[in-house]
Amino acid sequence: MSVPMIEIRGLRKRFGAHEVLCGVDLEIDASEVVCLIGPSGSGKSTLLRCVNFLESYDAGEVRIAGRLIGYEKGPDEIRRPMAARHLREMRREIGMVFQHFNLWPHMSALRNVAEPLRRVRGLAHAEADERAMAMLTRVGLADKAHAYPSRLSGGQQQRVAIARALAMQPNVMLFDEPTSALDPELVGEVLEAIKSLAAEGMTMLIVTHEMGFAAHVAKRIAFIDEGRIIDDGPPRRVLHESPEPRVRQFFQTYHDRNSF
Amino acid sequence: MSLDVLIHYAPSLIGGFGVTVLCWSLGGALGIALGFVIALMFRLRIAPLSWTLRVFVEVFRGTPFLVQLFLLYAGGPYVGLRLSATAAGVIGLGVYSSAYFAEIFRAGFAAVPVGQIEAAMSVGMAPRDTLLRVTLPAALIAATPPIVNMLVVLSKETVVLSIITVPELMYQMQTMAAETFTAFDSIFAMAAFYWLLVEATSRLGRRLEARVTAFLQEEARPA
Repeated sequence: MSVPMIEIRGLRKRFGAHEVLCGVDLEIDASEVVCLIGPSGSGKSTLLRCVNFLESYDAGEVRIAGRLIGYEKGPDEIRRPMAARHLREMRREIGMVFQHFNLWPHMSALRNVAEPLRRVRGLAHAEADERAMAMLTRVGLADKAHAYPSRLSGGQQQRVAIARALAMQPNVMLFDEPTSALDPELVGEVLEAIKSLAAEGMTMLIVTHEMGFAAHVAKRIAFIDEGRIIDDGPPRRVLHESPEPRVRQFFQTYHDRNSF
Repeated sequence: MSLDVLIHYAPSLIGGFGVTVLCWSLGGALGIALGFVIALMFRLRIAPLSWTLRVFVEVFRGTPFLVQLFLLYAGGPYVGLRLSATAAGVIGLGVYSSAYFAEIFRAGFAAVPVGQIEAAMSVGMAPRDTLLRVTLPAALIAATPPIVNMLVVLSKETVVLSIITVPELMYQMQTMAAETFTAFDSIFAMAAFYWLLVEATSRLGRRLEARVTAFLQEEARPA
């Protein structure tokens, strides 16, 4: 049996008195696409951010390709925070795309993509630029390579952010509501870019509210509510025939609001 | 107002203006450098260090520059610190303004959206590269307008140096006024010099600002 690409076991996280994640279990195999859906405040973004340890967790485990992230066990079997160098090593292999793109505004699109290649992967200037250009071409933005983020639409900025993450050649991609900050007309271009990644066999965990996209692209939908995954299965079943009343109610509201 | 009086005193006024510009630029440079170091040390988040720096900033922002300068120049020799008037003036301006510049840089760092730093973390960028490539450029861009503003304020604080006999513009002007009983002529002459300095500073400042925020308007030139 092969090791899952992402393995989450009994994950718990609290902010002060409020427990955001109350024992989450989730496994994602290599080349699997899983969409994480749930109401706001359910803990879905926090869960995603625990996967690359942007958010620390209190109990449980997150493993990437079998390796625990964020903590290390010494010879005495006691868990302590991971050495910063080891954490960086692991994060290089995990791409992340944020809701608000988080491009560096003082760098052109090309520099945004090339800078991590130079500083983290240690590529030479020309080589980094070449790979960055190839990545921008792939997301259809070769002609915008020298534009600063402020001159790009939201959809273009998000595609640059995807190119930046992909250029690092990660094993896993995490998407945190990648289309929530976009005008409806710009959503499609970003979803297309993510779809083409799925077709190439990228392992992805995607927090989204795009149900149609989830239905088409995801192999599984995991539904999270109040810090627990209450349903996890093929999209068709979770979207239409969930045994959980809370899940059925959520999608019913969604259907009602979107019928016109 | 007599033109020949002005012409007669022109060399000393111009010389005084030179000393003013010198003290201001050296003091400002010292203040920016010190303030930057202080702001960086705040970021280390070492409690006793932060606490000490906070006291330093509050003391130098909370007391009049005149008092600080007088204590440095007149009180310095009592603790073995013997400085020429001009050196005391430059150091005084530098230390005084460093308290303000430290706060400007601190605010600049605070203005960098956390998402930009998270983006650097998520690709595995080391803290040093994150600081040099992401945080620092963004912080300096945010800090540029208040830095220029503080330099303008500082240029006018230089008049205080006259009380410790630095031969700057105010000092020369007072000499001229005392010798010729032409209080208004000399004060107008002085205002004109300061206006020139402030105007030049703010023009340069605007150009600098336009330059560092160019990415908000233009496309980058191909490398």
